[in-house]
Amino acid sequence: MLFSFSDLEWVSKARVNTQAVLKRAQQVQGRKVAKKQWQAAWLLKAVTCIDLTTLSGDDTPSNVHRLCMKASQPVRRDLLKNMDMHDKGITTAAVCVYPSRVADAVKSLKAANSSLPVASVATGFPAGQTPLKTRLDEVRMAVQDGATEIDIVINRTLALTGQWAALYDEVRQFREVCGEAHMKTILAVGELGTFTNVYKASLVSMMAGSDFIKTSTGKESVNATYPVAIVMVRAIRDYYLRTGHKVGFKPAGGIRTAQEALVWLVLMKEELGDDWLTPTLFRLGASSLLADIERQIYHYVTGCYAAYYELPMA
Amino acid sequence: MASVASKTVYDIFQSMEYGASASTTATAARTWLEQHSQSLGLFVDGGFVRPVDRQTLRVTDSTGESHNSCSMICICAKEEDVSACGVSASAGFKAWSELSAHRRAKVLLRLANTLQRYSQCMSELCVLSECPCSSSALVRLAHYYAGWAQLRDTLMPNWTPRGVVAIVVSADCQFYSIWLKVLPALAMGNAVIVVPGVKMAAPALLLAQVFMEAGLPAGVLNVVTGDCALVARVAQSIHTSYLTFCGSKQDGELLAKQLAGWGVPTSLSLSVSAVCPFIIFESADIDSAVDGVIEAAFKKNKDWQWVLCVQESMWDSVVGRLKLRMTGMKCVPLASEAHRSLVETAVQQAVQQGATLIQSCPPPSTGGLYPPTVLCGLAPPCSAVTTPPPGPLLPLLSFRSVVEGVTLGNHSPHGQAASIWTEDLTLALETARSLKVGSVWVNSHSVTDPSLPQSGRRDSGNCTNGGKEGLYQFLCPSLTPRMPRSTPRSLDYSAFGTAASTFMVPEGFDPSSVPRSCSQFIGGKLCKADSGCIRVVSSPGGAVLAYCADGGRKDIRNAVEAALKVQPGWLRKSSAARAQSLYALADSLDKRRRDMAASIQAQTGISMDEANEEVELSISRLSDWAARCDKQSGVVPPLPQTGSAFLIPEALGVVGIVLPDTRPLLCLVSLLGAAVAMGNAVIMVPSEKHPLPAIDFIQILQVSDIPGGVVSIITGGRDQLTQALANHSEIQAIWYWGSVEGCQFLQYTCCSPLKRMWLHCEEEVDEEGGRYWTHPSPSFEEEMWREAVVWKSVWIPTA
Repeated sequence: MLFSFSDLEWVSKARVNTQAVLKRAQQVQGRKVAKKQWQAAWLLKAVTCIDLTTLSGDDTPSNVHRLCMKASQPVRRDLLKNMDMHDKGITTAAVCVYPSRVADAVKSLKAANSSLPVASVATGFPAGQTPLKTRLDEVRMAVQDGATEIDIVINRTLALTGQWAALYDEVRQFREVCGEAHMKTILAVGELGTFTNVYKASLVSMMAGSDFIKTSTGKESVNATYPVAIVMVRAIRDYYLRTGHKVGFKPAGGIRTAQEALVWLVLMKEELGDDWLTPTLFRLGASSLLADIERQIYHYVTGCYAAYYELPMA
Repeated sequence: MASVASKTVYDIFQSMEYGASASTTATAARTWLEQHSQSLGLFVDGGFVRPVDRQTLRVTDSTGESHNSCSMICICAKEEDVSACGVSASAGFKAWSELSAHRRAKVLLRLANTLQRYSQCMSELCVLSECPCSSSALVRLAHYYAGWAQLRDTLMPNWTPRGVVAIVVSADCQFYSIWLKVLPALAMGNAVIVVPGVKMAAPALLLAQVFMEAGLPAGVLNVVTGDCALVARVAQSIHTSYLTFCGSKQDGELLAKQLAGWGVPTSLSLSVSAVCPFIIFESADIDSAVDGVIEAAFKKNKDWQWVLCVQESMWDSVVGRLKLRMTGMKCVPLASEAHRSLVETAVQQAVQQGATLIQSCPPPSTGGLYPPTVLCGLAPPCSAVTTPPPGPLLPLLSFRSVVEGVTLGNHSPHGQAASIWTEDLTLALETARSLKVGSVWVNSHSVTDPSLPQSGRRDSGNCTNGGKEGLYQFLCPSLTPRMPRSTPRSLDYSAFGTAASTFMVPEGFDPSSVPRSCSQFIGGKLCKADSGCIRVVSSPGGAVLAYCADGGRKDIRNAVEAALKVQPGWLRKSSAARAQSLYALADSLDKRRRDMAASIQAQTGISMDEANEEVELSISRLSDWAARCDKQSGVVPPLPQTGSAFLIPEALGVVGIVLPDTRPLLCLVSLLGAAVAMGNAVIMVPSEKHPLPAIDFIQILQVSDIPGGVVSIITGGRDQLTQALANHSEIQAIWYWGSVEGCQFLQYTCCSPLKRMWLHCEEEVDEEGGRYWTHPSPSFEEEMWREAVVWKSVWIPTA
C-alpha cells in the first residue's frame, strides 16, 4: 500500500495522554493469568514468540551455533513430553544476530535440519548514524546471506526533528531492499522523547511497509516498558482500523523473567486481541528470558526449582 | 467443551484463555463472622448487643447460596433499641465534644493504624458483602480527617458540632460513601449513628469495632441495622440533630418526605442514580478515552451511570475501537435477576428506536448476567439515555461542536460528575467551567480522594462530601439559633399556600391621607401583581401605611424568567465589577438613609435611633459583601497523585429568599449581598408583616447598576409565594424564614426536584431582637456565603 504526503496529516493529528497511558499500563499489569497448566501454556506460547538474540561484539560461530541449537529445542524434551507438547513443534520464533553472523546462523540451522528463520539487525544498528547508502547495503547483504527477517533501526534525527516525510521515504527504501524478507522497524523509543513521537514514528513506520514495529535495540538506557508498548500497540490498532492491515509488535530489551513475558502476552491480548498472540504478529526480543521460562516450566512439571546447570545452555 | 480441570496445556496453548482466577478463601473474614456466630447484632454504646425477639434479615454473601453456612444474619432494630442508641449517642457526644481537638485527632490517627492491621479482614468482608472497598482508601480517609480534627479549633473557630448525627446509607451505595460522611462528622466532634444498607452491615459493624479498639469513647459511633422504617425512627429520635443520606433518588425522596416537619435538618447525596456524561472531544487521545469509558461503564459495581458523548468527527474512530476492545469481554453479573428484564426492555426499546448494538457476545438466554453493550445512535428522548437501567449498558450520542457537547452534557436533571477528554488545555478548562456538575475529571474518570470534595447539583444531591467543604454540614455557627425540634403538623401539602388572600377595605378610611400604592420589582421594572390584587401594609398600630401588590405564582414565574436571562451575564462579569456594583448600591443606600430609617420606624415601630442603627449596619453589611466579591476564592487542594486539582465556588443560579420579620432592611441586604456577590440572581419575598422597608429599597435598586432581573422583590402572602417558589424547578435554592408549617411544606416539596434548602423557623419570638443579625458571629457570614455557592472540583491528572 502506498501512502501519499497528505496521509501524514493522520500522523500529525496523533495525540497521546501520558498519564492515561501510565494508568492503563498499571491496569494491564494487574491482570493475572491463572496458575498451573494455564501458566505453563502461556509460557510455552511466549517461547514460540521469542526471537532468541545475541548481539555482542564477541559473537563467534561457536556461540551462534549454540544459540541456534537452543532455539530449535528451547525446552528440555522430557519436560515437553510430560505436558504432551513434545510433538507440537515448540521452537522459538527466530534467532537474531548481527549481519556478519547471518551466514554462520544459516549454516548451523541448515546442518540441524531446522527451518527456523534467521533475523538480522541492520541499518547501522544500534545508532543508525551511518550514511543511508551503507545502511541500504547492509540490508542487501544480510538478505543475500540468507536472513529472512531484517530488524532495521529508524533514523532518530529525522523523528526528533519532525521530518516525518523524510523518515517515511527512508523506511520505504529499506522495505524495497528487504524484498521478500520480513521487516521489523526498531523505533528506539528510549530516544524519542515523548509518547506522541513514539505514536507518530509507529504510524510512519507502518505506512512505509513494516511487518513489525519493535520497541528498542536493547542498547538504549530505556528499553521496552509497558506504557510505551501500549502507545505502540494502539498505533497498530489505529493502522488496522484504517487499512485493515495487521502489523506485528516486538518488544525487546530488558525482558528477562517469565513473569514479564506473561505481562507482555496479557498486554497484547488486552489491547489487540487473540489474533496478535502468535509469532506471526508478536515477538519477544530476548536472550536470557528463555532460561527463566524453562525453569518455570520445570517447576510446573516437577514441582521443584531447577538449578541453571540442569537445563541446557544456549 | 472440556471441563476446566481437564483442560490440557495444548488446549490452553491454542485458546490462550486466562483461566479462572483462584477464588479467595476469605479466611480472616469468615473467622470474624464465626466469632460472632454469623449473627451480627447492633453496635450500641461501644459494644455489640443482640437483643432477643427481634426480626432478622438474612444476608447472603457473594459466594451465593452454596455456602449457606456463611450467610450472615442481621437484626432489625426496634423502637427501644433506637432510643437506647440515642441515649448512648447523646452521652457519647458529650464525652467526645469535650475532648480537646488534639485528643480527637489522636483517636482518628490510631484508627488509621488499627485499620491497617485489620485490612485483610476488612477487604475480605467487603468482597463477601459485595461492596468492595480498598482498605487503603479508608486509611487515607482516616489520616486526612485526623488532620482536620486536629485543626478544627484553629481554622474553624466560632463553629460548633451539631450533636448526634444520623448517617443513612442505602444498600446500593459504595461502602466508602459511609465513611466519607462518618469521618468528617467525628472529626468535628459529633456523635454518629450509622444506618448502613443491610448488604454492607457486616463490614460497617467490623469498622465500628475497629473504632472502639482505636480508643473512640463508647456511644460516639453506633451502628444499627434494620428495615426501611428504622431510618425514620432514628431520624425522629429526639436525640438526633442532623441527618444525612446517601443513596438513590427514590429512597432519598421518600426519606425527606417522612422527615418533613420533625425539625431535623436533612441533606441528601443522591449520587447512586446519577447519570454522568463522558465527553470525548476531537482533540482527545481517543484510545485512552475508549479505555477509560470501558473501565467506567462495564464494571460490576458502578459508581454511577455514564452516557458517552462523542464529537461527530470522531464517531467512526470511537465505534471502531469500542468494537475491537470489547470483543471477548465477559458478561457482567447484574445486581439481581430482576435487573435482567429491566436491561432487556431498555435494549429492546433502544433497538426499536433505531439504535445499533455493540455487544461483546450475545446475551446468555437466562440468568443474572449480561454482556457489555453499547447502544449506538441513540437520541436524548430515548429512555435508555435519560434513565439507563442498572447494568453494563452504555448509550452513545454524538455532538457537532464543542459548545453542543457542553449543552448535551448539561441537558440533564443530574449534576454529579462528568469526565471530559481532550488534549487541549484551554478547551478542558472552559468545558470544566461550563458543565453544571460537582466533579469534573479531565482525561480521567471516577477519581476520588478525601481532599477532592464531591457535591451534587440539581437532582444529584444538596450536600458536599469530602474536603474541608464537607466538614461544614456537620457544624453550625456558634451563636445562631437552630431549627427547633417539632412534630409534624397535619398539613395538606397540595393546599398549602393556595388560599386566596382577601383584600379588606380597612375601616375608618380617611380620605384626607390616601396611602400610596406600591409596586413590586420584577426584571428591573416596577409592576403590579399579575392578579391585579393588592394588600394592605399596616403599621404595628394598625394604621394603613400603603397598599402593596399581592404577588403570586405568575409573578414568581416572570421573575424567574427575567433572572435566567441576566444571571449568566452577571456571573460572567468580573468579581471586581460585581464588587463595584455592590459598593454603589451601598452608596445609594447611604444617600437615602433618612428615608429608609423612617420607613423602618413606620413599619416596625422601633425608635428612630434603632432604625438609624439598622440602616447604618445595612450599609456596612452591603460593603462587607462588596468587599468579599473578589476575595472569596477557590482552593487548590494538594493531592497524593500528581496533577492539578482545583476547587471552585460557583453560583447556584436563581435563589428564592423568604425574608424574616425581624430587622427587615438588615436581613434583606445581608442575604441579598451574599447571594448576589457570588453571582446568583435572587427573588426576594419581603416579610408579610413588615414589607415596607423592602418596598422602599426598590427605589434604590432601580437606580443601581445591578442589571434588572438579578434582584426581584415580590410582595404578597408568604405561604402563597413560598409555594410558588417551591414549585419552580429553575430555582436552585430556597432560603426560608417563616413558620413551622412552611418549613415542613418545603422539606416535603423540595425533594423532587431537589433544591438546596436553608430553613429557619421564626415562630418563637426572638427575645434578643435579631441580635444574630445585628451582631453576627464571623461564622454566620461564612455560613451565608457557603449557602450561596456550590462547589465544583476539577481534577487534571498529569504524569
